[in-house]
Amino acid sequence: MAQFTLDGKKVEAKEGSLVIDAAREAGTEIPHYCYHPTLGNPGNCRLCVVEVEGAPKPMVSCRLPVKEGMVVHSNSPQALRARSSALELHLVNHPLDCPVCDQAGECGLQDYYMKHGQYESQVRENKLHKKKRVPIGPHVMLDQERCVLCTRCTRFTSEVTKTHELGIFGRGHKEAIDLAPGKTLDNPYSGNVVDICPVGALTDRDFRYKVRVWYLDKTNSICPGCSRGCNISLHTNTKRPWHNEGRRAARIKPRHNAEINGYWICDEGRYSCSKLDEDRLGKVMQLKPAPAEISWDAALSEISQSLAKNIEEKGKEGLAVIASGLLSNEDWAGFKKIFVEALKVSHFLFTPEPDQMGEEDELLRKKEKVPNLKGGEALGFGTQIKSESWESLAQKIESGKIWGLYILERDPSKVWKEKTKNLLDKLELIVFQSPYKTAIGNWAHYRLPATSYAEEEGHFTNFEGKIQKYEQALLPLGEALPDWDILQKLERHYKEVQSHALTGASK
Amino acid sequence: MAIKIKEVTRPPKNFQGQIYLWEVWLGLLVTFRHLFVNLGRHTLKALGIKTEPGAVTIQYPEDPAVLGKRARTRHRLLKRDDGTPRCTACLLCETICPAKCIRIVAEESPDVIVEKRAKSFSIDLGLCVFCGYCAEACPVDAIHMDSTDVAITAYDRKDMIWNMAELLEGKKNPASA
Amino acid sequence: MTGVAWTAVKVIFAVVTGLNIAGFLGWLERKQSAVLQDRIGANRADIFGLRVLGFFHPIADALKMLTKEDYIPPFAHQPFYALAPGISLGFGLLGLAALPFGGHITAFGHSVSLQPIQSPYGLLLVLGLLSLGVHGVVMAGYSSASNYGLIGGLRGASQMIAYEVCLATTLASVAFVYGTLDLQQAVIWQGRHLFGFLPAWGIFVQPLGFILFLTAAAAETKRTPFDLPEGESEIIGYHVEYSGMKFGMFLMTDFVESIVVSGLATALYLGGWQSPGLHLAGVLGGVVMVATFLIKVMLVLFLLMQIRWTLPRFRFDQLLDLGWKNILPLSLLNFLLTVWGGYLWRLR
Repeated sequence: MAQFTLDGKKVEAKEGSLVIDAAREAGTEIPHYCYHPTLGNPGNCRLCVVEVEGAPKPMVSCRLPVKEGMVVHSNSPQALRARSSALELHLVNHPLDCPVCDQAGECGLQDYYMKHGQYESQVRENKLHKKKRVPIGPHVMLDQERCVLCTRCTRFTSEVTKTHELGIFGRGHKEAIDLAPGKTLDNPYSGNVVDICPVGALTDRDFRYKVRVWYLDKTNSICPGCSRGCNISLHTNTKRPWHNEGRRAARIKPRHNAEINGYWICDEGRYSCSKLDEDRLGKVMQLKPAPAEISWDAALSEISQSLAKNIEEKGKEGLAVIASGLLSNEDWAGFKKIFVEALKVSHFLFTPEPDQMGEEDELLRKKEKVPNLKGGEALGFGTQIKSESWESLAQKIESGKIWGLYILERDPSKVWKEKTKNLLDKLELIVFQSPYKTAIGNWAHYRLPATSYAEEEGHFTNFEGKIQKYEQALLPLGEALPDWDILQKLERHYKEVQSHALTGASK
Repeated sequence: MAIKIKEVTRPPKNFQGQIYLWEVWLGLLVTFRHLFVNLGRHTLKALGIKTEPGAVTIQYPEDPAVLGKRARTRHRLLKRDDGTPRCTACLLCETICPAKCIRIVAEESPDVIVEKRAKSFSIDLGLCVFCGYCAEACPVDAIHMDSTDVAITAYDRKDMIWNMAELLEGKKNPASA
Repeated sequence: MTGVAWTAVKVIFAVVTGLNIAGFLGWLERKQSAVLQDRIGANRADIFGLRVLGFFHPIADALKMLTKEDYIPPFAHQPFYALAPGISLGFGLLGLAALPFGGHITAFGHSVSLQPIQSPYGLLLVLGLLSLGVHGVVMAGYSSASNYGLIGGLRGASQMIAYEVCLATTLASVAFVYGTLDLQQAVIWQGRHLFGFLPAWGIFVQPLGFILFLTAAAAETKRTPFDLPEGESEIIGYHVEYSGMKFGMFLMTDFVESIVVSGLATALYLGGWQSPGLHLAGVLGGVVMVATFLIKVMLVLFLLMQIRWTLPRFRFDQLLDLGWKNILPLSLLNFLLTVWGGYLWRLR
């Protein structure tokens, strides 16, 4: 460890670590564009300059290793002057179109200009014009004029995704970021270049002009897209509902977690937020014999009575439950309490549907596109409690052994296809509980709306067994309740029905 | 701006003020003077003789309202030389509006230079507090509060909402509500 | 029998006159305040485009009051709530009937008194009727079952009682001078002359008494600057729960009581129906008498209104201080001086 002085304070840091890192750990944020913890430090933006006593010129703190006893001033007049000169140079050809720029509000140029800018422009020449509003990929829009040439994005494509779509072309003041010839920025992690771009040069095509960033509320959450469990920040727009095309979830940004996802998330997870409120179930419905809205209490007590009746008449072996890793740890606990302990169900199905399996790569994406299979396994689901296969369950229904089906957030019709109708018509009771509408929902006797992951808080256990909390970002839509709450209420209703049956029998 | 405190000393109590009657008499003198001078002026005017007006009242609907030079009145949106609205939908006015009466929905503009424009722009004049922050905040000088229109009325609250076309034209379209 | 009928006719005449003046006062108040404040005042009400300086506004007001919803709060004490404005207005109007509009005249062979209610104790009668008006105020405040109304009513009661004492003591000295409690006799007394040229009006005989009487009278009738029981826009008064014509009756009470005290001031201090140097008799004389009396009443009312639009409202403690600590001692002093003066006059 080495001790050095930063702005008059004694700071401990590892010998040889960078001053900019040591300063951040000590609570002093040194302005920077090009430096990024995982993308190296080319030192070309010259914004992180600090004054070092004994050094003849200001030094670039992102390339300056800590040495014992060095004295660093990050806010001395010399450092500030160097910084504001560098910023002035960055702004020479910047179009200053903040009113139309989506980055406004979270822009490095804006923030540092307010702190370090020279408010009087000395530039009398016309600004240089470059390419504006160029879609360079399915998700990213490029504006070369706003670029400060920090090269974070080119380094991302070359070092992280190793796809090399972006590069710097031209020389001198005509230098510009552009696509490599014949390529488009369409790798599965392309959205990350928008996050790392400190200015408005790379903006999100999906988010473009939907809502201003300062209207958004930010909630820490966990991406439910696969079993990696990437840490995300869910940005929601609830105060001004006329923006963002009326959707509540505006965008998803990665949240740094060195152990799970680093600074990145995949595009699949990032752009899943627009579907958050699509095709939602809002009302508790009884669909058979006739479709009708029904209260939670009535629905759950009717389901309980039907369960009790059928168990008494046809035995508990006739009930099957289909669930998946979309349930949180809390949901799994409630699931175990009712289906294993209270109802003693013997047929479970946890096997994913084909569309719940997807692509996998070494960076982040995992094959199982559900977040929490591990959480179920921790309670024995899929390990001690064996899962049926889709075929075996279909056969059991076919042979009439099964009278009831409780489906949580799944869609068997995707597997059973045209057989589905025949199979389901044989059943006495189908309960469908999910945040989203699916084809199977229309066959159910009861349809119970559950909350999406953004409307509840809970925990996911990722594929490595790491348990992570996600927080509630939005109010539940319609009458939706968290899965664990529905299951817990159902259990209570079922016990009540049972005790009535017992007292009735004793009379 | 520092707050300045001016100490006001209470006038000393004297007999004249204590008995009160004299002060009442002085006050009555003032009001009587106004009464008779104004009565005289009204009478002269009624007789057709030119004189100072006896009252400062403006008979508003018949006589036009007298507005100060910097009076903030109903908003108007400005156009560019080519006739398109100047507004780039930066949403600064919507953000600063303390009454939250401005609603803008942005969209992509076909013009690459303009880039962004307002798809819809509405001001609920029933909510507006006429603070003028929107005109102050506008970076492209697209919104002004100098229409000199102060007679903004409607029979229905939703008729107080003016949309972009109406703000550009400065005329409420009765069919839009 | 004819005597009773004649009295009834005269009482009705007095009441109708009072009510009409009250309506006229509504117009006068608006216009006078407007002109002295460099404004124009209400001028929009018109009949067939005829505006007549806003003269129709009192009529419009009356129509509005009559057609407004008469809302009785469900928590109010119903009988008292309905009774209160009637008590206020009724006693005020009765007070009018005791005023000497004119003296005795002989018309068509009959001797007629132009005072509707003739009583040797007329002064006490008017004072009593004014005091009974307090009950309307307290009743209104109490029966509204509203804290604002109740406190307003209590304010009104304490104010009116305080100033009634002042009023009575002030009037005691003038009654002492005239040697009578009969208003008619008091007016006749003022027909004489002092030092041969000055009419012996109360204002010259009792100058301090007149000022004290005017102040106490303004307070008694709850006019600005003493309108704390009402305090319409700021402190809220006893009639806060009233609406429609019941509220209108309270408003009218103010005007009627003003007319009563102005009549009292005219009768006791300004020579009543007397015009200096004129000996009035016959039908024509009767008309002149009534006109003189009414003109004098109007002048007092005009002065009261001018005071109203000149002075700001008192604070309540200042109001009671003024009543108990200043006006009451002064009027007692005035009474003492009058008694001594009268004694010295006798000795002369």
